Amino acid sequence: MTPVSPHTIIIAPIGDFTPELLDLIRAEIKRIYAFPTQVRSLFEDLEFAFHPNRNQYHSTPILEELARKAPAEAIKVLALVQKDLFIPILTHVYGEAQLGGKACIVSTIRLNEGHRSLNTQEPYLSRIIKEAIHELGHTFKLRHCREHTCLMHYCRNESDVDRKSDQLCRYCKVLLEDEMKRLEVK
Amino acid sequence: MSNIKILIVDDELIMRESLAGWLERDGHAVQTAASGEEALEKIKATHFDILLVDIKMEGISGLDVLRKVKESDPDAEVVMITAYGSIPSAIEAMKDGAFDYMLKPFDPNELGVLIEKIIQHQEQARENIYLKEQYKDRTRFESMIGQSKPMQAIFDLICDVAPMDSTVLITGQTGTGKGLAAKAIHTNSSRRNGPFVTVNCGAIPEHLMESELFGHQKGAFTDAKETKKGRLELAHGGTLFLDEIGEISMRMQIDLLRVLEDRVFYRVGGTQPIEADFRVIAATNRDLEAAIKSGDFRKDLFYRLNVISFKMPSLSQRKEDIPLLAAHFLYRFSQETNKPIDNISREAMDEMMIYDWPGNIRELENAIERAVVVGRRREILPENLPIFCHEPATAIKAHSLKDVEKTHIERVLTENQWNIARSAKILGIDRSTLYSKIKRYDIEKIT
Repeated sequence: MTPVSPHTIIIAPIGDFTPELLDLIRAEIKRIYAFPTQVRSLFEDLEFAFHPNRNQYHSTPILEELARKAPAEAIKVLALVQKDLFIPILTHVYGEAQLGGKACIVSTIRLNEGHRSLNTQEPYLSRIIKEAIHELGHTFKLRHCREHTCLMHYCRNESDVDRKSDQLCRYCKVLLEDEMKRLEVK
Repeated sequence: MSNIKILIVDDELIMRESLAGWLERDGHAVQTAASGEEALEKIKATHFDILLVDIKMEGISGLDVLRKVKESDPDAEVVMITAYGSIPSAIEAMKDGAFDYMLKPFDPNELGVLIEKIIQHQEQARENIYLKEQYKDRTRFESMIGQSKPMQAIFDLICDVAPMDSTVLITGQTGTGKGLAAKAIHTNSSRRNGPFVTVNCGAIPEHLMESELFGHQKGAFTDAKETKKGRLELAHGGTLFLDEIGEISMRMQIDLLRVLEDRVFYRVGGTQPIEADFRVIAATNRDLEAAIKSGDFRKDLFYRLNVISFKMPSLSQRKEDIPLLAAHFLYRFSQETNKPIDNISREAMDEMMIYDWPGNIRELENAIERAVVVGRRREILPENLPIFCHEPATAIKAHSLKDVEKTHIERVLTENQWNIARSAKILGIDRSTLYSKIKRYDIEKIT
């Protein structure tokens, strides 16, 4: 297995994702967060998070498992799934992240108008990339932003995701820089 | 992060944690309580803007929590969290003052919309309180704000002075509101329907002052292509406000004295005497009696102006007005900039109360404006206030000598409200040099 250099962001696909999609996500992570990336499968079986009564997967234990299984050198880990995710208090989530923590997850299901098969055509492709960068932003302590065009804006539906840009707003950029400086000091 | 404090009360750990995590990512400050008892303890210690309370809990129920909250902190809004089977209890809760109820599990979009609705509702309520406060207890008089004893005395004085037609001299430090006091006298006088004409004696270059005050006839001098009325003539039937009267030249002091004595003057280049009926209000931050002693101000003009006089208190003499003034400026600038900043943190307010405000209300106004512009949160923090920010010494290294000179001139002008004579004196240059530097560096007055 390829060794992991320090401060690498691991992209952990769970299920089948095309290399083209993964490459695009890696390029965007590099552009926004400037950390090296590596695609590495950490686990495939999600049964431990499945709730048959809801027919959905509880994202919080998946995050815990990701953080546990990620290589120690990895600074963050981003999982991609083609399953419908939830947290107990909500009907569904597009993704979840440990705020200021290590792990985050994005589900492609609801970004693809509920279709379970992966769609890598536009605008679905951009939606997946934007939400991946968004969830990773939470692990860098960024919170939801009121600026509609900012990547950290919370989107209520797919058209909101389409409307936001592929950039962080100037405030979120500053907050990210602050967090980057803090991480470098460590 | 927003400034909204939310308390989640639910006896199920997984519900508490998942909701708290979700709301934290939304930027809210979230606390949790595992029981009604714990919630009541937390409510005693902290004000929460929103409480999300599960109806069914062991011990103190969600409905009991709701009733206690509404008793102790009526501004807090409570949303009941309920399962399908407990909808009747949720409806009962609405009668007891709950804002709304939500069925578990929530649609994340509905939760977001509800939280936004509550925030807007609370902002509206705060705005209403603010507007009501403006009109009660006479904290405002015309455009002046103050509940302190010195300001209440000023308001009384203005009411007494306004109906008389006597000349008034207003003294006081820069930025204490002398101009507003003059306007208030005019507005409360029988001349209120006439014009209120201001002459800033410190801002008009000496060679233009004569024409500015008295007007000129066509052909009186090279640039006099048309006959122009002066400010004295324009003030006919109203009030002439001579601001910064202490800066007026000796020559103009003589001319002005003649006008005040005779109420008759001539346009520059004119031969026809012009009569104008106006009331004079003058203001200065200078000690005119000291200026008389040093020969800079005419004694006879002083006595002509000093028929009724009063001194505006400095902001440090009326510190109890700072919260009221700061709230007024905060409201105004947050509206102007369309930024949802509606609070000043306790720490920032403490700092403002300690600070001496040498630039008085104008400095406070500028400080709040800057804080609103740079502020990123819903409340103003000490670091947003320019009075407590210090530029690093290294910042100047990258500047050229010209940049430094320009910045210094701008700062001196701003600190002296663009009083050219005073700024020139501080800078150690004469007024014409200052004018040429203002032109050369393209320095503009920001109003």
